[in-house]
Amino acid sequence: MPVTLRVKRAKRTKRAQRTKRAKGMKKIYIVVIFLLALVVTLIFATGMMGRPKPGVYIKKLKDSHYQLIANRKPYIVKGACYNPIPIGENHEYDWWSDPHTPWLRDGKLMQEMGVNTIRVYQPHENIEEVRRVIHDLYALYGIRTILGHWLGFWEYPCPFYSDKAFQDRIKKEVLEMVAAYKDEPGILLWILGNENNYSCWGRVNPWSDEEIDKEADPQKKNLLRAKIYYTFVNDLAREIHGVDPDHPVALGNGELVGLDIASKVCPDIDLVACIIYRGKTFGNLFQSLKATFDRPILLSEFGADSYDAYKNLEDQNMQAFFLESQWRQIYENLAKNKKGAGNCLGGTIFEWTDEWWKHNESDPKGYKIHNPEAGWSSGSYYFDIKAPGNMNMNEEHFGIVALSEELESGLNKRIPKKSYYVIREFWKNPNLNPKNKKGAKSR
Amino acid sequence: MTKSKIQKSRQKNKFITIFLFLLVIAICHMPYAICQSYAQDNNKLFTLTKQIIEAKTNIELYVPFEELKNVYFKDNKYTEFVEFLKSLGQKKDRLEPFTNYYMALARYYQLKYLEETQNWDEYFNNGNTYRDEFVSAIQKTIDSTMFKEPLHLYAKLILWQFHKDQEDAFAESALLDLMNTTLGYAREEQNTKPIKDVADKLSSYGEKGKSKELYRIYVQKLIGSLKEDRELENIALEFYKEENLELSEALYDAYIERIAKTYPKEKSISILTDIVKLFSYKDESPNDAFYAEKIFEKIEDIGGKEAFTEELMYLRAFNLEKVKEHIKAKDIYIDLVKCYPLTTHADEADFKVGIIYTYVVRDVNSGKTYFEKLAQKENVSPQVVSGLYQLGLLNQWEEDLAKAKEYYDKLIERAKDDFQETVTLTKERLKEIDEAKPIEYNLKTFLDVSLKEEYMMLDMSKLDLKAQPYRTKKEDNVNITSQIYLAESGCFQVELQYLWSGHIGTTKPSSSKGTFDTKYLHSGTKEVNLVVVSPTGVVDRDIVMADVY
Repeated sequence: MPVTLRVKRAKRTKRAQRTKRAKGMKKIYIVVIFLLALVVTLIFATGMMGRPKPGVYIKKLKDSHYQLIANRKPYIVKGACYNPIPIGENHEYDWWSDPHTPWLRDGKLMQEMGVNTIRVYQPHENIEEVRRVIHDLYALYGIRTILGHWLGFWEYPCPFYSDKAFQDRIKKEVLEMVAAYKDEPGILLWILGNENNYSCWGRVNPWSDEEIDKEADPQKKNLLRAKIYYTFVNDLAREIHGVDPDHPVALGNGELVGLDIASKVCPDIDLVACIIYRGKTFGNLFQSLKATFDRPILLSEFGADSYDAYKNLEDQNMQAFFLESQWRQIYENLAKNKKGAGNCLGGTIFEWTDEWWKHNESDPKGYKIHNPEAGWSSGSYYFDIKAPGNMNMNEEHFGIVALSEELESGLNKRIPKKSYYVIREFWKNPNLNPKNKKGAKSR
Repeated sequence: MTKSKIQKSRQKNKFITIFLFLLVIAICHMPYAICQSYAQDNNKLFTLTKQIIEAKTNIELYVPFEELKNVYFKDNKYTEFVEFLKSLGQKKDRLEPFTNYYMALARYYQLKYLEETQNWDEYFNNGNTYRDEFVSAIQKTIDSTMFKEPLHLYAKLILWQFHKDQEDAFAESALLDLMNTTLGYAREEQNTKPIKDVADKLSSYGEKGKSKELYRIYVQKLIGSLKEDRELENIALEFYKEENLELSEALYDAYIERIAKTYPKEKSISILTDIVKLFSYKDESPNDAFYAEKIFEKIEDIGGKEAFTEELMYLRAFNLEKVKEHIKAKDIYIDLVKCYPLTTHADEADFKVGIIYTYVVRDVNSGKTYFEKLAQKENVSPQVVSGLYQLGLLNQWEEDLAKAKEYYDKLIERAKDDFQETVTLTKERLKEIDEAKPIEYNLKTFLDVSLKEEYMMLDMSKLDLKAQPYRTKKEDNVNITSQIYLAESGCFQVELQYLWSGHIGTTKPSSSKGTFDTKYLHSGTKEVNLVVVSPTGVVDRDIVMADVY
């Protein structure tokens, strides 16, 4: 065969092979594109079928660490309990409709301090007014609101948690509250009850029913009550989730009392909101909770008063000392801090402003007096425990902002106490073991 | 240059370095030298620094560093100490674990001092810095020392104290680490001082179980080096006098173990008797009634009941009564009267048995038997009168008023002009009978709660009533206190009522008071009763007996 012919044939063969290969590649491309399209479609379809992440939720990390997520960012609750009762008024005062809008004055002060959350024990009846407060605080100052419900704890007669009619009425109130405010962007979470669990142990607002009365063993009586109460709270939580999947539901609880029972009957509770007055620190609270009821914790009431009942004089330093120490421990136990329990979400200090009516609510004259008499005793607040009868807790002096009788635009002038500044500085630069600082960073 | 010349030159340089360093320190402390005390301190600082710089081994560093610390700490000059340590640490690498440890120690005590003196400006301005410095310095010490070194142990001890003081979440793991390190150290090392230091600190923080464990190890190591029993006893007594009862007990235990093997029965009992007298309950000196009872049991094991003299038996019963081991106390009081019918404590013992049977055991009939026994006695003692009062009272409560009146009348007849405290109470009861009124409210509540079936679940565990002193002279002050153990109620103050009754002396305590001071004008065994009531019902009851001579 001539050389030219051989070359031509070889070229033809190569071309044929190339064409064949190209055709094969084309098929592969089509398959790959098809598969990619399928995957994208599936991802899209799955996304469409599943819910987007809720606005506020709790993320469980490794080692049972928990983080509160709001708007897709970790959120440390740096809050205060808010009940701005003016001098001369008592708890019945409707501050929500106060034309002088105390929340605007306070919101600004809070923002300057670094407060990002307020806790309200129960909203007012007027939905529009409550919405306005929640909206104003969030829109103007970025402050979110935790709304709670007393669950009838202060009703007279005592709250009968085993009574069906009582349960139904409270459930209706709670669900109406959730329905009314769940779409407010400023809402952070719901807290059910406060220290209602103490009623199960018969020390405060005791209640009973026929079945409980039949039980002779006092300890078993308490357990029966606790089971009834916590089951009821869990029912509420489940129903709230049905109405509002966007916000976590907390069980308000005095100390850790009864949480061993709650752990068995409260699967629908997202977090525990504890009321703790243990002085300088919270002791082994965080680890204990982990062992008892593995849920994140919000310190929903803690703090110290600014009155030395022993020396009988105002002592703002004492309050600042306790509060700074308490915040340090809160930060040590936030998620991602290797040494802490990692189950703390933050806290709401008790409280924003002093309340002058609290010492003796049956005496209206006393509402205008900043009463120096203590209402209860706690040895953990040791500076003034030697006060007569060991009564050292001055209920009217728990605010981190004092009220003056002098009016400013119709409101009692706000005078931040030492703790306001000390905590502000702490939040700016939380002083922990340097190794742990990374874990503490957040909004 | 020759080799010897080089060596001489090096030595000279070293000397100059040390001299210059000491000179700098002396200059630093010049302002203080104005005062004589400061001059003395400076001399001491100079000497100690020299010792530290010239120390050839780490062992030689412990004493001068400790003394150095004392010089600064006595005037609370923590920051000055830290500055001094920083400059010292830079001079020699070998000193760094020590300078870091003492820097941490200084910051630890400085924070405490600022809190105690309420020096808030410095606390808030620098507290966080001090805390950081503490954590950083103590960690450096731990990292740069071996577990066999006492400094390693001390660093872990102060780290645990730091967390324990803050009651934070790390206290538990720090304690575990401290214990493991100390036990590891004890296994390897013969120097017992660090073990005792850790045990002492644990004990002072109330970690009794852990301190006991370490004291046991310390004692084992110590007795290995002691040949004479006497030496061991003396050391045990020394620690008792220092009020380190835990350690004293651990040493006495070792001593008792030794003598049990070698001494005859009588001698052992005599030694145990001396020990038990030390530890039995006394109002005025250190005691550990539970440890004393352990020794009483040992005496009984060795010599049986016959080994107990009248005084020893009374001591045992009294000791048990004071720690509220009522049932055991009652049995010993019964034995006392059985074994020594003529004992001077017979009336007191019978009365106390009657009280325990009636109000603790809730066995009224047995109680009455002992009160009746007293009532039958010819000689009138305070307890005979009180026994008659109790019989009258129990009959009055049982609504057998005629019988009650009979006992009360008999009491007044036998008391004549004496025993006025009991006579006054009796007259009050008689007035109630005459006017057909119920027993005074507080007393009746106590009787109801102690004797009625419906209060059976109240077992005196929620209330602890105490008298100080338990044994007193007429007209001396007695402090009666109560401690209540209630369920948590958070910031809700539970309003409690204190219903006091019985022989409460010259004071009439109000129902809002959980404590009061009183005096007794007449001798006898004075029973004080208390019932505590909360808004939801009776919390508990308790009874306490004070002996007035």
